[in-house]
Amino acid sequence: MSRCDFKIVLLGSEHVGKTSLVLRFVNCRFNSGTPYQNTIGAAFCAKTMHSNGKDLNIGIWDTAGSERYEAMTRMYYRGAHAAIICYDPCCASSWARLRHWLAELRTVEEDCKVYLCGTKKDLLDTNSTREVPEDIIATYSQGLNGHYLTSSKTGENVEELFQKIVDDCVADRDLMQKVEESRVQLAKEQEKDKSYCLC
Amino acid sequence: MASTSKDGVPDGDKVAGNLGDDLEPGACSDSILNPEDTFEEFASELTPNLQERNILTAKSSTISEIQSEIGECSQLHGTKSSDNLQSKDESISASTSSSNLLEQNGDEADDKDDYLRSPELVNKEKHVFILSSAGKPIYSRYGNEDKLAGLCGVIQALVSVVEEQNQDILRSISTKDCKVVFLMKGPLILVAVSKSNESETQLVMQLTYAFNQIVSVLTLTQLNRIFEQRRNYDLRRLLSGAERLIDHLLIFMEKDPAFLLGAVRCLPLPEKSRENITNAITSTCNKIRDLVFAILIAGNQLITLVRMKKYTLHPSDIHLLFNLVRSSESFKTAESWTPICLPKFDATGFLHGHVSYISEDCQACLLLLTVQRDAFFPLSQAKHTIADKLRRSNCLVAINDALNRNKELPTTNPLKHIGIPEIRHFMYKCKSTAQLFTSDPICLDKLQDYRLRHKEGGDITEKKITKLSDIEHVRKYRKFCSQIHCTSTPAKLIFRSNSDDTILAWITNGFELYVTFDALMEKDQAIRAIDRLLHWIKREEERIFIMNAPTF
Ligand SMILES: Nc1nc2c(ncn2[C@@H]2O[C@H](COP(=O)(O)OP(=O)(O)OP(=O)(O)O)[C@@H](O)[C@H]2O)c(=O)[nH]1
Ligand SMILES: [Mg+2]
Repeated sequence: MSRCDFKIVLLGSEHVGKTSLVLRFVNCRFNSGTPYQNTIGAAFCAKTMHSNGKDLNIGIWDTAGSERYEAMTRMYYRGAHAAIICYDPCCASSWARLRHWLAELRTVEEDCKVYLCGTKKDLLDTNSTREVPEDIIATYSQGLNGHYLTSSKTGENVEELFQKIVDDCVADRDLMQKVEESRVQLAKEQEKDKSYCLC
Repeated sequence: MASTSKDGVPDGDKVAGNLGDDLEPGACSDSILNPEDTFEEFASELTPNLQERNILTAKSSTISEIQSEIGECSQLHGTKSSDNLQSKDESISASTSSSNLLEQNGDEADDKDDYLRSPELVNKEKHVFILSSAGKPIYSRYGNEDKLAGLCGVIQALVSVVEEQNQDILRSISTKDCKVVFLMKGPLILVAVSKSNESETQLVMQLTYAFNQIVSVLTLTQLNRIFEQRRNYDLRRLLSGAERLIDHLLIFMEKDPAFLLGAVRCLPLPEKSRENITNAITSTCNKIRDLVFAILIAGNQLITLVRMKKYTLHPSDIHLLFNLVRSSESFKTAESWTPICLPKFDATGFLHGHVSYISEDCQACLLLLTVQRDAFFPLSQAKHTIADKLRRSNCLVAINDALNRNKELPTTNPLKHIGIPEIRHFMYKCKSTAQLFTSDPICLDKLQDYRLRHKEGGDITEKKITKLSDIEHVRKYRKFCSQIHCTSTPAKLIFRSNSDDTILAWITNGFELYVTFDALMEKDQAIRAIDRLLHWIKREEERIFIMNAPTF
């Protein structure tokens, strides 16, 4: 039913900056004025991207980090092609939960590409103190598809992160074959719907 | 009642006789809302009955009923709601071990008594505290509940002493200028400490709403189960982010007469526009099997509600939805997929809601509520179809006009259009449909103003009154409202006139009406004015109210 070619899911503790990351990427905005509001359940956004001469629709699920929704998060990474796991380098507790997401993904969605994303780089660059040591991050990101330090405030590395994900997906032959198949399937269904509508 | 005033309780029937018997503007045999009053329920919370307490398990699950009617729940998930709960339980028990460690330290604060005297807490008009029945702080309207462990201990001790030694329930404590009202509900204790003129019943109502707000994010089943498993559980872990909803709800309740009257306000719209909107929704959604409610709202007002046959919504559930939408900026930027429990509809499980604003240029929010948790994409598609239809039929413009009041319609400025200069303000509730109309609906900016101001204070201050709108009138009507809904000796008609203003409150089988006139009005003059007012409402009823009860 989904008209998206790729499904990307954002995971991570509350307050790490998932919603801000999506808002920056999709709407090119950062709301520094409005106070923090936790996401309730999950939010969905779509955006068209280009890679290797192709137009691709990507669907992004921004999940809630609150513990209250933890049991529900599984239904968002089911079937995801890529996951962005966010942590805040200046907040040790946001790192602690990250192992939990990784383990979950490995068991539920083996083929999902996993990207690590350190958020709020602008704060790290100015005055905040790093709480998550770089060598630990390096060790963890080895087995993953990439690691980025982003800032939703300045926009640094945000586009790059999503572009890398789409490029990786497009380079994945098996995945692209499935995407083509489902496009054909969808076109067929739409044909059928149209003929229904006529009568 | 004020001693300077001329009080009178004339015979309600005689007045009705004067006005022509069956003038019930807005009345409708079929209602989208459940018109059942809850005033008695709140009042009964104040009469002690130890047996009935604590038996707070909802009877049957409406959600599983719907699922089994649709006939698909058995195949994959078992009954979905219980599946949900099971997996949630895992997460709860998994996380409690770490909370143990955190709770060890930081509980004892030496200066906690001083904290009660700090400016954060002193001189507030109304406090609300929520704690677990074990005495653990969960929520405080002001200040930091972490530092209120001592106070919560005292509250818990008071409650349990009355219960254990006297076999009774602590309902309220009154001092010269302050009321303290207690509500024990399930595993929670809720307390209001108020210096406002609200009655005890009205305070109980507000505490019940606060409780329902918690149920709305957790479900009653989960709330009960958490405390069955661990009496000492720190519920704030699961409520994080929901404090904001309770904060907003408390302000909302003080300002909007909809809560006082247990009714829902509708956005006044030309009859044809509302019909088009409803048709756009029904024609798009009638093939979606698991959809229970489709609700379009704007600015705390209902535009339309389409429902699955057999099911209606209670006004208090709609108020929680209004509150959710008003308190969440994030719905404006993306389509949300959100579990929502509506306590009156079914306290035991979640509905799944597709929540989004209709478009960037129209502040109407569409909620599509289903029992099917994988239904996001079909609903997302439906939303886009509906939005297109509304745009093409010019309904978005109609909604914007009504919201911004930028077109001269009869309902844009009701008092001017009615043309009875002595009427300063009125509010009218149609009982059969639980819908409300007032002469000066709170405009959104104003509510926002109050909210901002409240963040800074909530202190008791003498407010300078500029122009009276609903917000200021609510305060005045409270007393009349509680006399009319008094369970022992209810009044049918109250007329009070003094040198500030004249207020008339009247309840019949069909409606409730509250009107503020100029000072020192005569009774017959007021009654003649009310006659004209009722006829005006009757004439505009199709625009003001939702007069049908559409289903999918
Ligand atoms: N300076 C700075 N602040 C940021 C950045 N990203 C997020 N924030 C702030 O961090 C807070 C949390 O951001 P959100 O994006 O709402 O966090 P979230 O991960 O979506 O939180 P949940 O929805 O509760 O899971 C907000 O106050 C943001 O303004 C960033 O790159 N730089
Ligand atoms: Mg978020």
